[in-house]
Amino acid sequence: MSYGAWIILTGSLVGVSCGIVGCFLILRKMAMLADAISHTVLLGIVLAYLVSHSLEGIYMLVGAGIIGLLTAFLVQVLDTSGVQSDAAIGVVFTSLFAFGVILLSAFAGQVHLDVNHALMGEITFIPWDTLTINGIELGPSAVWMLGIVLILNLTLIFLFYKEIKISSFDPAMATAIGIPVVFIHYLLMSMVSITTVASFDSVGAILVVAMLIVPGATAYLLTDRLLIMLLISAFIGVASAVGGYYAALAWNVSIAGSMASIAGLIFGATFILSPKHGLMGKVLARRSISAQHS
Amino acid sequence: MKKFLALFLGAALALVISGCGNTDAGSENEKIVVTTTIGQIADIVKNVGGEHVEVDGLMGPGIDPHLYQASQGDINKLSKADIIFYNGLHLEGKMGDIFAKMKKDKPTYPIAEAIPEDKLLIDPADKSAIDPHVWFNIDLWKYAVEEVRDGLIEYDPENKDEYMKNTEAYIKELEEVQAEAQQKINEIPEESRVLVTAHDAFQYFGQAYGMEVKGLQGLSTDSEYGLRDVQDLVNVLVDRNIKAVFIESSISERSINAVVEGAKEKGHDVKIGGELFSDAMGEKGTKEGTYTGMYRHNIETITTSLK
Repeated sequence: MSYGAWIILTGSLVGVSCGIVGCFLILRKMAMLADAISHTVLLGIVLAYLVSHSLEGIYMLVGAGIIGLLTAFLVQVLDTSGVQSDAAIGVVFTSLFAFGVILLSAFAGQVHLDVNHALMGEITFIPWDTLTINGIELGPSAVWMLGIVLILNLTLIFLFYKEIKISSFDPAMATAIGIPVVFIHYLLMSMVSITTVASFDSVGAILVVAMLIVPGATAYLLTDRLLIMLLISAFIGVASAVGGYYAALAWNVSIAGSMASIAGLIFGATFILSPKHGLMGKVLARRSISAQHS
Repeated sequence: MKKFLALFLGAALALVISGCGNTDAGSENEKIVVTTTIGQIADIVKNVGGEHVEVDGLMGPGIDPHLYQASQGDINKLSKADIIFYNGLHLEGKMGDIFAKMKKDKPTYPIAEAIPEDKLLIDPADKSAIDPHVWFNIDLWKYAVEEVRDGLIEYDPENKDEYMKNTEAYIKELEEVQAEAQQKINEIPEESRVLVTAHDAFQYFGQAYGMEVKGLQGLSTDSEYGLRDVQDLVNVLVDRNIKAVFIESSISERSINAVVEGAKEKGHDVKIGGELFSDAMGEKGTKEGTYTGMYRHNIETITTSLK
């Protein structure tokens, strides 16, 4: 496969994975969790460095993964005990990030260690970062990692679909009919943090935060049914990846930035044109109501 | 619903396959296509390779390698390159790992890693913490120049003599710059030979000319300076009567302004001595766009304001 095709495939995998788990974040009003994780991973890589004394990517990924999970868990703990979800994210995000900054300046000031460098991947260079086992070349390692994350996500959603659906929309009713709501929430949060950190490692922060929020928010404007929302969201993720790649090709700009911008454009168009929740739809609905009344 | 799913998967597959069509034709150009990361390395290749090479630097003027964002065109620069030279020692972060992996397809050289380890600045407490900003010590940078020469010779042994000759001339030019620099720095009163900058890119520079280097920020641009860092720096400025601090072309000057203000409060007037090139070089076509031009600019800026 050509370099471009690998990049499109990687972008699409990120789009589908993040698009799907992002829907649940939107429904639970926790959209900024991904942004929080993109900052708290600093603590993860600093700790990973202090433990391993190495700047190898694998240690950074493990450190970031652990702190990503911790971020999600702490947010969930605060949320369950009554702190508002946006405040919970804000508190956890700033404290863990600040702790990372303090550790960095206290113990690792002389090391070339920053999040941009040590953890965030660059989608442009995906095709060369290949996985080789026993001398056989198996394609970019990012594609493998993201593919495994996607399969894991799809399996978990498939297994717990009904439980996830009810506890996302109506936690009180879910508790009443005996669904372990707290467990489901922790499960979702773990999926989000694993997806986020794996995607950070492959394609960098901006694309991941965009793909987690924008496709889900767009799909939310178009439908009220969860399954359709997940499918639309995944489709928008892929469309942004493909469109973004060709836009980057045309103008010779950052690929990740261009993919994120296309996602933004799709959202903008949907916001104006959506028949149900869009601006146009609302105007039309108001007109038909006033027409009936006159 | 199943139909929709099938349609969606089909569309995704079709797009991926259509992306496969454009295979890359290797460069038919007789010149050796070389891609480098920072401008300082591109300058070596230009000088050593002469007319036999075509150099493309990924990071242009004013771009901090720590914050470099790739663009779509960089795919071509990397895939068309015959040889890739990069700094290494973790300067390029994860990109460096990718270059190391590309080694099985084409020659890639981390040229700063050719410098003998005992000459590098390594944190004694921690062996993995190596300062990668080696290009300011010309004695060390010569090893990097030789690594480029050897790389080019291995790829293109036919023009060996020319590469040897060019390298000799280039190193001679560097040595001239070095002698000039040493002479100018000797004119600064000994107690004021302190270079204060925003980020620690000049340790090797200090090592080469016996100047003390104080940075506000650590090596990483992510780390933040502490309150005491500012205080300590202000005290040094006042106690040793240092007249100027410096800003860098690739880093914002906000942080260093805090130090200037702090010194002013203590009644010591410090001016901002000017802009130094640290990780990035100047605009193409200007004097500062070459290694020697940039080096001379730095020396000139430092000596005129510290004297």
